Amino acid sequence: MPESDIDPNPPLFDDAEETVQAIHRGDVDAVVVMRSLEGPQVILLHGAEEPYRVLVEQMSDGALTAGPNGVVLYVNDRLCELTGCSRARLVGRDLASLFDGEPPKLVPGVTVEATLLRDHDDAMPVAVWSRPLSIGDAVATLVRLTDLSLHRRAEQIAAAERFARSVLEQATDAVVVLSPDGHITHASWRAEQLAERPPVGCTFSEAFPLEAQSTEEISTLMRFSTESLDTILATKPFHGVEVRLRSERNANSTFLLSAGPLVDDHGANVGSIVTLTDMTERKRAEEQQTTMVAELNHRVKNILAIVQSVAAQTVRSSGSLENFADAFTGRLKAMATAHDILTHTRWLGVGLSELLAAVLAPYRSPDGTRISILGPVVLLPAQAVMPLSMVIHELTTNAAKYGALSTRRGNIEITWQASGSGTNRSVELVWQERGGPKVEVDPTTGFGTRLINHVIGHDLDGNTKAYFDPAGVCWTIRFRIAGPADGRAAISGSPIA
Amino acid sequence: MTEGDGYNLRLYVAGQTPKSIAAIANLTKICEQHLPGRYTIEIIDLMKDPALAVRHQIVAIPTLIRQLPEPLKRIIGDLSNVEKVLIGLDIRPT
Repeated sequence: MPESDIDPNPPLFDDAEETVQAIHRGDVDAVVVMRSLEGPQVILLHGAEEPYRVLVEQMSDGALTAGPNGVVLYVNDRLCELTGCSRARLVGRDLASLFDGEPPKLVPGVTVEATLLRDHDDAMPVAVWSRPLSIGDAVATLVRLTDLSLHRRAEQIAAAERFARSVLEQATDAVVVLSPDGHITHASWRAEQLAERPPVGCTFSEAFPLEAQSTEEISTLMRFSTESLDTILATKPFHGVEVRLRSERNANSTFLLSAGPLVDDHGANVGSIVTLTDMTERKRAEEQQTTMVAELNHRVKNILAIVQSVAAQTVRSSGSLENFADAFTGRLKAMATAHDILTHTRWLGVGLSELLAAVLAPYRSPDGTRISILGPVVLLPAQAVMPLSMVIHELTTNAAKYGALSTRRGNIEITWQASGSGTNRSVELVWQERGGPKVEVDPTTGFGTRLINHVIGHDLDGNTKAYFDPAGVCWTIRFRIAGPADGRAAISGSPIA
Repeated sequence: MTEGDGYNLRLYVAGQTPKSIAAIANLTKICEQHLPGRYTIEIIDLMKDPALAVRHQIVAIPTLIRQLPEPLKRIIGDLSNVEKVLIGLDIRPT
């Protein structure tokens, strides 16, 4: 020991005597003895306290003793750590000054929460427990302070985990979290539904065996082996590849596969979040829209061609401008009626009975006796509606001009039968007029008849037969009702001979 | 506080022994009452570093040393006798 550390004034004899007397009076409870090898050593006169002192010094909680006036008398090392203050700065302070804001109200044996001030204006949540303590004749308070920061952090982590779990549960997409080695650690409810096996613990490719949708995507997926795909998904951003799942349950579904990195508080990559977004409906809507645009183009062209053809032929067969106007307007109206029906049914087709009722509506009597419509339910495909509407219009116009509808007592009976199935499904419709003027066979064939024959033969792949019975004309019309392979409307705009 | 009229006190204790605890409490109280704003207290725990006992040749604990003003004075015990402390340290009430 440096000599300068030793007091130059050794204790006087009366000091030594005072020391002896103090020990004798019991004013001291520890003495310092000098040992040649170990140096000075403190000997407690009440040795039983030593284990407790060591216990308090080593405990993981902060501990202090406060006097009856609230002055801090003792602090252990842990409390110095918690506050960031030295023992010398803590002893002698008012207990209340250790806390931020309102000091905790100490109730013996009760734990309360408070905020412990730390050095540099920092603070820390603590649990404070206390109990009264008798030290000799003095009454003191023993206070234990437990650091709640870790507890709070654990609570925050648990809350974050619950939040993340809730997000996963609510997600409509299949979402999985991959560890850096490609194994699934979390899976959303939707992901569990899609997976081939319980996903947590599996690699991504085990739980979700993939198939690419297009050639381009096949090459994208084929660049990776199953193992490297799992690694890529777990470690690299991965976006926008359309895939199918290789499973019977999801055979008709299309998914968008994406992956993004999962980082911790320090920005380190700790895995990834992989999503499988169900695009089936979107794809279907896109395909439907593409089809509809193509159909619309096709139909507009067809309709214009038909209008052009009908106009030209009507001009040719009309004796006067007035006749032309009537005939052309009627035919356009038949087309418009068919178009209205198709629009109403979103071009999904219409029942034959409904089409007949719509076109013949102006001529039907309230009691239904003038025109009867009777036949089984037959759903006409969209492409058959327009041509059949025009045919019915021509038959009706002829009946109104020359046949059953030209007299008050005339009537028309329309019946039909359907036969065959699939692409061979066809209908035989019989148009029977009665009660009109006596029918005479007309050696010339008018435009209306030519239009009927052309449309049925060319557009509906059928044939017609007209029987001119003097009691009333009878048309037998056979036509197919199966749609063409490409699903497009079959109305042709070819000229009518 | 100026160096001339300040009391520089050093209290040697041994952890949390009853006398040590009592000495800290008593000294704090006495100083607040009789030397407000005129004192500094340094508490030395010899349980942590017994070697510090050498400087002032501490034998019994607790021991209070008045370092300033000179001359050096010492009082042994838990400082429960206020009168003895005031006389022993030659403290003049303000």
